[in-house]
Amino acid sequence: MVLLLLLSLGLSLRVSNLPVVIQDFSDSPASRELVDAFRASISLHVVAWPVDRPPEEALRSNTARAVLIIPTHFGRDIARGVDTPVQLLVDASDANTAKLTAGYASQIARAYNQRTPGAQRSGPVQAMIRLWFNPGLSSKKFYGPGIFVLALSMFPPLLAALAMAREGEQKTILQVYVSSISAHEFLLGKILAFTAVALAECLVMLALLFTYFGLRVVGDPTPFIVATILYAFCVASFGTMVGAMIPNQVAAMQVVALGGFLLVFLLSGLIFPIENIPAGLRWISNFIWGRYYIEIVRDALLQGGGWPAVWLKVAIVALIGAIFYGIAWRGMRRMQLEV
Amino acid sequence: MKTLRKMLFAPRVRALIGKEFGQIRRDRRLVISLILPPVLQLTLFGFALSASVSNLRLGVVDESSTPESRELVATLTESRSFRLGGYYASAERLGEAISQARLDAGVVIPYHYARDLQRGRSTTVQFLLNAMNANTATIGQAYAEGILQSYNRQLRAAGVQANVERIAAPAMSRRGQARLMPAFLYNPGLVDSWFIATGVFGLLLILNSSLISSAAMVKEREAGTIEQLLMSPASTAEIIIAKITPLFVLLSMMMLLAIAVLKVVFRVPFHGSLPFVLFGGVLCILSGISLGTVIATFSKSAQQAQLTAFFVNPPLSSLSGALNPVEAMPDWLQPVTLINPIHHFAAIARGGMLKGSGIATLWPNVLALLIFTLVLVSLSIWRFRKQLS
Repeated sequence: MVLLLLLSLGLSLRVSNLPVVIQDFSDSPASRELVDAFRASISLHVVAWPVDRPPEEALRSNTARAVLIIPTHFGRDIARGVDTPVQLLVDASDANTAKLTAGYASQIARAYNQRTPGAQRSGPVQAMIRLWFNPGLSSKKFYGPGIFVLALSMFPPLLAALAMAREGEQKTILQVYVSSISAHEFLLGKILAFTAVALAECLVMLALLFTYFGLRVVGDPTPFIVATILYAFCVASFGTMVGAMIPNQVAAMQVVALGGFLLVFLLSGLIFPIENIPAGLRWISNFIWGRYYIEIVRDALLQGGGWPAVWLKVAIVALIGAIFYGIAWRGMRRMQLEV
Repeated sequence: MKTLRKMLFAPRVRALIGKEFGQIRRDRRLVISLILPPVLQLTLFGFALSASVSNLRLGVVDESSTPESRELVATLTESRSFRLGGYYASAERLGEAISQARLDAGVVIPYHYARDLQRGRSTTVQFLLNAMNANTATIGQAYAEGILQSYNRQLRAAGVQANVERIAAPAMSRRGQARLMPAFLYNPGLVDSWFIATGVFGLLLILNSSLISSAAMVKEREAGTIEQLLMSPASTAEIIIAKITPLFVLLSMMMLLAIAVLKVVFRVPFHGSLPFVLFGGVLCILSGISLGTVIATFSKSAQQAQLTAFFVNPPLSSLSGALNPVEAMPDWLQPVTLINPIHHFAAIARGGMLKGSGIATLWPNVLALLIFTLVLVSLSIWRFRKQLS
């Protein structure tokens, strides 16, 4: 659980409080006003840097993410009513952060320009931007559900696969074969037990989501409840399927790690949007069970679209669960015939 | 140093090294895990993990339906940032589509849009952004503002101007404006994969080294052949050297392969010195091997070692700043990254490759990595010796 908390805290992409160096060669009232505007922002914070040292060094030594250079003639130009350029050097080795930094800085510059007396307002067409579902732009609210799903897709199948593979490894499965238990009964017993484990884990995680991440169920909770039970079944069957196919604990663990962790982590839109995956790989994400459940959870906790938005995804989760169960059952039957 | 060299070339150690090489060669899974991950993980992560925001689906409610409003829609959608997701009859419909995740953003153009422009009044369009993903929303917001700004400039050039403002602001008292000119250094094309690929490179070196070495170390114990080794006249130091050398050689080859992938597949530029980055990589491999050895000495079977790694690796990779910026983590967590070797190697790799910086600016990271390596190597040797005796 602590692990998951750490994971979720370390995952966010949206940065704030970025270090910026300002080199003010103008040193005039106008330039100091601009510097003040940067100082006042919460998304950037100004770090000290001597004027005589080359600004690129600040970027190279990672003391700053961007450097603002105010030229000597800045104050004069402003007073004369001439538009004057101010250069912003952005460390673009991280493209995403660079875009955010440039966006923040241009917002600050726009605010500065609007404050100066007699400045034109931003123009004939103005945008009123409304941020829906997450007005505070808190990353926690986006990653919380993702981490919840990741945890659910990782640990229950791992346990199920280990338990199943152990039966295979220690040959206790032969005792099952010779008994009068049918493959269905045996599998259902295993899967339902691990479904219960998954649901228990789910409750603990939900408590975390509601307290630490500050999320609430919005809208109709029934699709979420139904989907959670189905998904718990789905991951438990996945683990059991792997365990049934590979009667070797180490190998089974690797497969679950690959399927449960890597695929769900990478190809489900957990952190990085699915649309950015190159088309050659993107189709794979259609088969990733975690993807649908993430969308359902996000809908339930943030958007509140209810049944009309998610019924198809719930059905797909159920379908994938059924497919896993079917494969596990076939694998069991084949083993029974072999023995 | 001299004794080390003497030991490395002593016939006994050479024989032991030969034995280890033979063992690794016969363990097909180990060999595969040496070659496959660097190529597969680097390409998969590098391509799949892209945070770039483009082609946001934009729904439009055009209550004005005039040439002017259609021009605005065309300006918004002709950029690569937004693409047209469809027209909607009312703002309610648009809202529904956004909450069902069929759209990422919406724009509502009011009924009096064209009239306001013609009369020279300033007018407002509403933008709705699905802000579930805070990162996408922040960037999308900046896109929308940027597009509207350049659209305004076009309008002004065409003579449309809000003359209300002119009255309020006589040209005499007008002050100049600061125009921000952002320059993107080191990665002017804003290629996302460069950041991810260099980060994954660091992850790969440490995690793979630790996985492979723990597998190799624990194997001897599982098979029970470690007693035979102990009974041989070789000293523990010799055994350790013989164990580490072949792994080190193979992992260094993996590192070169990974660098080739970075260069050929991702076209990451190489502005700094290659030996400097290689030196950092070697330190990384050594600390990875030591980490694996420590894990192996604490576990009795391959399964246990793997489970331990399962719990060590995720925090190690997520709290490293290799896949996402450290500044995005909460303040109290940021210092934790300082005790993570991957964090320092990522700084070295990025500095050395993208920024062209050398030891003069990156010495704190090199020093930290060096300290880690020394601590981990000595810890692993101590644990291994204790286990042997």
